[in-house]
Amino acid sequence: MGAPTSLKQKFLKKWIMGLQICGSSKKEMGILERKKAIKLAADVAMASTRTATTCWSRALIANASKCDENKMLVEHIMGSSQSERLSVKSACMGCNKRIRSKKILGRSKSISRVKKIAPQKILANSIAKRLVKKRTQVLKSLVPGGESMDEFSLIEETLDYILSLRTQVSVMRRLANATEHSNRK
Amino acid sequence: MSSRRSRQSGSSRISDDQIIELVSKLQQLLPEIRNRRSDKVSASKVLQETCNYIRGLHKEVDDLSERLSQLLATIDADSAEAAIIRSLIM
Repeated sequence: MGAPTSLKQKFLKKWIMGLQICGSSKKEMGILERKKAIKLAADVAMASTRTATTCWSRALIANASKCDENKMLVEHIMGSSQSERLSVKSACMGCNKRIRSKKILGRSKSISRVKKIAPQKILANSIAKRLVKKRTQVLKSLVPGGESMDEFSLIEETLDYILSLRTQVSVMRRLANATEHSNRK
Repeated sequence: MSSRRSRQSGSSRISDDQIIELVSKLQQLLPEIRNRRSDKVSASKVLQETCNYIRGLHKEVDDLSERLSQLLATIDADSAEAAIIRSLIM
């Protein structure tokens, strides 16, 4: 596939850049500290391949920047101009879609009031609705920035987030395998 | 699908079809559901599988980070590839 390959390359480049910054600033790191640095660099690199176009990437970077010691790393991976652009845009996005999806929900609710449904089906429907609602809440907690998304945006963001996560895992796995392979020789 | 979209009022650009399309795209991504080849997967099942899948991916990232951390700590000083990797990363 054409697009994912370049995505992998973009991610790899930014990730390695982040790792180099971590490595240069601290010579001696414990395993846990290094692991956190590797993971942080990977997450920020993953998010920065999507800058400003998705809510989850902005939320991830905003969360990472909350801690002062991470801020420098974030800015380096993204380039300082990009990170400024992010903080301005993050306020605006969710509102329009939220209004639109509420209209759809409102429309579908008024339609169902007209039909007569058997009582068993009503019970099944309400259980299903409760399940969907509960699981939507869980999904919101898993996707960065999910809490402030309406359902439609949540699904869109989830799709993109999953694709990015898969890329991240695939590249990280390759690097780990390559490192292990070279270690054995 | 496009005809249905045009019938809707101009203010809302999202149709029910688009939501269904998104959910089916999500279904395609999830390995478990894709293998079952059934069109009638409930929304709550798709959501559940999605959450499990994301949690699994998070765990993999965590495990890979830990593995890389240990590998980089014990990297063999002599091999040429190790030197390359070390110069790249550390």
